Amino acid sequence: MTTLADLIDDPAFDREPPPDALSRLHGLVEDHDPYEFGFLDEYSKREVRRAVLTAVAVPGYQVPFGSREMPVARGWGSGGLQITLGIVGTDDVVKVIDQGEDAGVNAANLRRLIQDVTDVEVTTDAREATIVQTRHRVPEEPLGPDQTLVLQVPVPEPLRGIEKDQRELRRMHGEADYARMWVSLYEDYVRNGVITRTTGYPCMIGGRYVMATTPIPRWDIPKLHQARFLSLFGAGREKRIYAVPPHTDVEPLTFDDVPFEVERTEGAFCALCGAGSPASGVESFLIEVPSADHSRWVCSDTDWCSRRRGGEAVTHTDLVEAGMGDEPDDESEDEA
Amino acid sequence: MGYVAAKGGLEAIRAAEELVRRRRNSGTSPWLETSQLTERLRLAVDRVIGEGGLWAPDLAARAFRQAEGDVIEASHLVRSYRSTLPRLAYSEPVDMDHLEVLRRIVPAYRNPPGPQLLGRTLDYTGRLIDFTPDDVAQAAANCEAPTEAEEGPAADADTASDDAARRPGRLYRMLRDLDLVVDRTNPDDPEPYDITRQPARPGAPRSARLSTMARAETGALVQLWYRNILGPDNHLHEITLGEVRHGHLPVPVAHPRTGRPVAIGRVRVTEVEAIEDLDGIDEDGSRFDVGYGLCFGHNERKAIAMANLDISVHRDRGRSALEQSVLQTTDGLDASGFLEHLKLPHYVTFRSMVERKMARRSDEARGRAQAVHGLGGDEPDPELNNEELCR
Repeated sequence: MTTLADLIDDPAFDREPPPDALSRLHGLVEDHDPYEFGFLDEYSKREVRRAVLTAVAVPGYQVPFGSREMPVARGWGSGGLQITLGIVGTDDVVKVIDQGEDAGVNAANLRRLIQDVTDVEVTTDAREATIVQTRHRVPEEPLGPDQTLVLQVPVPEPLRGIEKDQRELRRMHGEADYARMWVSLYEDYVRNGVITRTTGYPCMIGGRYVMATTPIPRWDIPKLHQARFLSLFGAGREKRIYAVPPHTDVEPLTFDDVPFEVERTEGAFCALCGAGSPASGVESFLIEVPSADHSRWVCSDTDWCSRRRGGEAVTHTDLVEAGMGDEPDDESEDEA
Repeated sequence: MGYVAAKGGLEAIRAAEELVRRRRNSGTSPWLETSQLTERLRLAVDRVIGEGGLWAPDLAARAFRQAEGDVIEASHLVRSYRSTLPRLAYSEPVDMDHLEVLRRIVPAYRNPPGPQLLGRTLDYTGRLIDFTPDDVAQAAANCEAPTEAEEGPAADADTASDDAARRPGRLYRMLRDLDLVVDRTNPDDPEPYDITRQPARPGAPRSARLSTMARAETGALVQLWYRNILGPDNHLHEITLGEVRHGHLPVPVAHPRTGRPVAIGRVRVTEVEAIEDLDGIDEDGSRFDVGYGLCFGHNERKAIAMANLDISVHRDRGRSALEQSVLQTTDGLDASGFLEHLKLPHYVTFRSMVERKMARRSDEARGRAQAVHGLGGDEPDPELNNEELCR
C-alpha cells in the first residue's frame, strides 16, 4: 500500500501533470464507488487474514484482532462477515445460512451485503460454495477440502461460565488449566444426571485448547472432528478469531463413562424429506414445528432437505403447504 | 443456482426498508437539511460524532437523519463508514493548553487562575418548555444578526487579553505548584494504545481506557459512574471538578516532506479534569489525584463521567471488575448490537436446549441425580444458566 509519504517522495510527484490530468481525475472521482471490493480497506483485510493465519497455526486459540465495525450490528455476524470479506476473492462462490436456512432474513441480508460489496457469485447449494458463512449450523452436506466454513460467534470464551475475570481466563488457557471446567461438567452430571450443556458445547481442539463451538448444536460437532475443510470462527464484538484446521481433533469434553450425546428425539423425522425415519436411512438436525398434541419436525438445513426431495430449496410456501407454517403475513405492507 | 429460492427473506427486508424510507422522507414538512441538524440539533450531532469516533459533522448529521434520530444507529453508520477508510497517519500529540475555549468553568475555586467562562450552556436556565408561538419565535430569529458560526474561523483573538482568555491556564498546574496532587509523571512516554487496531483487555495502558471511554455510549458511562457513587461495588468517591472546558482544538499532523507538525484542521472537544480525594490506606492521603476526560463535541456529561471513571480505575488497581467493565461494557455499538441480536432466530439453539430439558427428565437421568443427593434433578444451575441466556 502506498502511503502519502511514498507518493510525495516519488520523483514523478514533482513533474507537471499531463494536460488532461484534472479531467481524468474528475472522471475517476465521479465513477468512484464509495465502497471498495470487500467493503473493508486493504489494511483491515490484511489484519483479518493475519489473524486467520495465526488461528490456523494454533488451532483453538482465540486470536485477538482489531475487529472493525461492520454494516451489520455487532451480534449479527460482524465477525463472520469480516472473515468472509477478508478472505473472499472474485472467483469465490458464497453461501450464507442462518439456523441452516438460506432464506432467513439475516442470511438474506448478509448474502445481499456480501454480494453488493464484492459482486461474487452466491448460491444456496452447499456443494457449489467455496465459502459458507453460517450462524448456528454446519451444513448437513459433507464439505470438502476446497471449502471454508465461516462461523459467526457470539461468545468465543468457553470458560466464561466458570470464570469472569479475563486475566485469569488468559492464564487458564495459557497453562491449559481446565481443571475447573472438568469440575463444572462433573457437578453438572451428578446434579442433573446428564451433562446439560446445550449448544456451543466445549471441545478440546488438537489436544491443547478448549474452544467454544459457537452455538452450533452438539449434532454438528462430529462434523468438525478430523474434517476435510477449514472452519474459521469470527467473534466481531469480542474481537477474536479462531480456527479448526482440516484434519484436526475436535473432542467434546466428556468423561470416559459418560458418552457425548447429540440432539435426538425418539420417533422424530422430517415431514418433508423423511430424514430421521428408519426407512430413510439418514439423519439430520431436526427442528420442531410445535403443537400441543402432535409436534412435527423438519430439517433445519433447507438446502440439503430440498435436494433430498429432488426439488428446489424449501421455501416458506412449502412449509405453509405442508400445513406447518403461518400464512404469509402482511406486516411488511404499509399499514396506511 | 437456487438463489430464487432464497428470496423470501430478501423481499421482506426490501419491503421493510422501503417502509422506513418512505415514512422518513415523505410527509408534509420540508426536507430536512443536514445544516439544520448541525445548527439546531448540535448536541445530538455531537453525540453521533463522539460515539461514532469520527470528526465529521456533516456526515454525522446525514447519519442522524438516516437513522431517524437514533444516536446509536447513527453512530453505527459512521463507524462502519470508518471501517472502509485506510488509516494513513496518526496526528501529533497536541498540548491541551492549545485548546481555544468556548466555555470553561472551574467548580473547585471561586477565582481560579484564568476566567470562569460560562459560554453556551443551559445549566442555569429553568427547565420550562418555551411556549412562544412558532411564528413569533421565527420572526424574532429573523431580526437577529446571524452570529458567528461555532465551526467558523478561529475566534477573533484581536487583543492579547482576548487570547489569554481563550487559552487560560489550568487548575492542575496550580495544584501541582501547591504540591497538592500526587506525581503521576510517566517518564516512558509510551505510544498511545490504538483500540481500533488492538482489542483492549484488562491490564491495558491508561490510553486504552481513555480512548475506549472517549467513544463509549454516554448513557453507559453515566450509569457506570452512578453505580460507583451509590456504591454497590464498594467504590465510593468524593470528586470535585477542576476543569470543565469546551472548545476548539487544532489537529497537527507531521508534514510528510518536512516532518514538521502542520495543523490540518480543528475539532471541537469537551475536556474535564476531576480531582479525587485520596483516602485509601495505601494512598497518599495528603494529596489529591486527578482523572481525565476528553471527548469529541460538546458532551459534558460524558467527559465528567469519563474523568471520574478514569481515576476510579486507576485507584482500583485491578482489585475489582471495574476496569473490565469500563473497557468492555461501555461501547454503545457492542451492547446495543448484542441486545438487538436477541431478535434474530434462535430456533436451532432453543431446540438444543429443549432437548436437554427433556433429557434431564428421563428416568435414567433422574435416577443418577437422586443417587447422588437424594433429590429430584431439577435445581437450576446458576453457572450454566447465565451462559445459556447469551446464546
